[in-house]
Amino acid sequence: MVKKTFVFLSVCLLSVHLPAQMRRIDTVAVSILDRMSAVIGQLASCSVTIKSNYDVASKELGLVKHSDEEQLYLHGPNKLLLKSEGDRGSRDLSFDGNKLSYYSRDRNQYGQIDASMSLVEMIDTVNKLYGIEFPAADFLYPSFVDDILADSKELVYLGLTRVEGKECYHIAGRGQDKTFQFWISEDAFSLPMKMVIVYTNKEMNPQYEAVLTNWQVNPDLPDALFEFSVPHKAKHVRLMPLSTHKK
Amino acid sequence: MQIVSKPTILLLLVAAMLALAGIPVEGMAQRFNHGGFSRPGAPSQAAPARVPQQPMRTESRPAPQPVRPEMRSAPQPARPEMRPETRPGAQPVERPSINGGSRNYGNHDYNRSYDAHENVTVRQNVTVRDHVNVYHTGDYRGIHPYYYHPYRPYYWGPHWHPLGFFLSALATDAVLLSLNNQRYYYDDGVYYQPSNGGYAVVPAPIGALVAALPPGYETTTAADGNSYFYFGGVFYVDTGQGYQVVGAPAGAVIIQLPVGAVEQNINGDTLLVYNNTYYLPISQDGQDAYEVVNP
Repeated sequence: MVKKTFVFLSVCLLSVHLPAQMRRIDTVAVSILDRMSAVIGQLASCSVTIKSNYDVASKELGLVKHSDEEQLYLHGPNKLLLKSEGDRGSRDLSFDGNKLSYYSRDRNQYGQIDASMSLVEMIDTVNKLYGIEFPAADFLYPSFVDDILADSKELVYLGLTRVEGKECYHIAGRGQDKTFQFWISEDAFSLPMKMVIVYTNKEMNPQYEAVLTNWQVNPDLPDALFEFSVPHKAKHVRLMPLSTHKK
Repeated sequence: MQIVSKPTILLLLVAAMLALAGIPVEGMAQRFNHGGFSRPGAPSQAAPARVPQQPMRTESRPAPQPVRPEMRSAPQPARPEMRPETRPGAQPVERPSINGGSRNYGNHDYNRSYDAHENVTVRQNVTVRDHVNVYHTGDYRGIHPYYYHPYRPYYWGPHWHPLGFFLSALATDAVLLSLNNQRYYYDDGVYYQPSNGGYAVVPAPIGALVAALPPGYETTTAADGNSYFYFGGVFYVDTGQGYQVVGAPAGAVIIQLPVGAVEQNINGDTLLVYNNTYYLPISQDGQDAYEVVNP
């Protein structure tokens, strides 16, 4: 009886002294991200160059850094062209509003997925079902700021700094399974210039970094840019959804 | 002969197809969680595109994608979205955006989180200091983005007076201060010195210690992480024995500026200068405010 009472009291004291977890959200950071998201949300088209570095964990060598350079073209409401070069090979992704086409220039192979949906719906669905990655796509989601807030334990504005010679607002945050930093240009357009993510829930804390340059706002992009024509002798392959039984 | 099971065949097929397609098996998914975009059911596979018949070629390397003339328009300087010219009465053509527009601009639910039991503190001032200064060094140009708003001088009630104001007599409860062999009188947040048979309002002497501040003072946290009090254009720290006048600390954010501030253009921004201190017009939580800066 004494033992039970002791345990009960210990639990009570523990409950009393454990403080509720606090989140810290800086409204300045939120307003900067809001501004960025509002500008992106009103773009009819855009193009940007994305240079990304990402870590791949190796048991023998630790984190091995890989890189890609991509040119992304977007046209509302549902067209995309991504031309990618780097460690993941030379490849294109084109979406004309009805079909997503994946073409590997290295292997001269292509695959296609029927996807009659908006741009962001396609990006989100194809990423979740097929694991196809679109660089810096998070910035395109209309709910980007809300989603960041939902995941953030901390979100702060660190001040001004320079990225690629351009003055930027520097924002940092911490989520459940990652820490992240954004650099947003300090000009009329407030476009994202750089993003760094450190995955704290993965072994060795791999990082992802993307630098976005050469932003073109509302360029006149012809529809033909987003149409895929099967190259000569290209082999068709089926794009398989991610297995639910993958390890 | 051992028969390979169907699940094994399927697994091998998946791995082979993915390898052939060059798609990473374990690519990192979208980096942040986003809701509301997944469509029920997987998009179907498109039928293989019909390849136009081509004459036999002898080259062994895969033919490059047909080269088309550069169809992109010449690089244009970034400019705000411009509506096409329309004739009177004609409806302007709305171009759909790339994502349908951002959501909840300036109207976020800070309590929406992955853990409903967490408390959320929405901080108005940035105080990430701890043991490491993660803030950027160099001239302090302000944490908050510049946001111009018209200067509207503020008066802290009938007992407050701006610099240079002359009184022929002081209130009976005015306090005499002696600092650096100088005599000052303090009354309701205002500092006076004898002048021309009366008393004139002077800048608050740094180091002066007063017992209490009048109602209506502001509190702020500056770039150094310390808390300050502000009243009538003067900054104070609480020493425990009273409130001591200090110089305007960089990063301090205040709402009201007294009469007598002067606008000055610095690098394209219009700052306010009051008593040799620069104030950057900003917006904080939708309210016009000023931040102490060193341009």
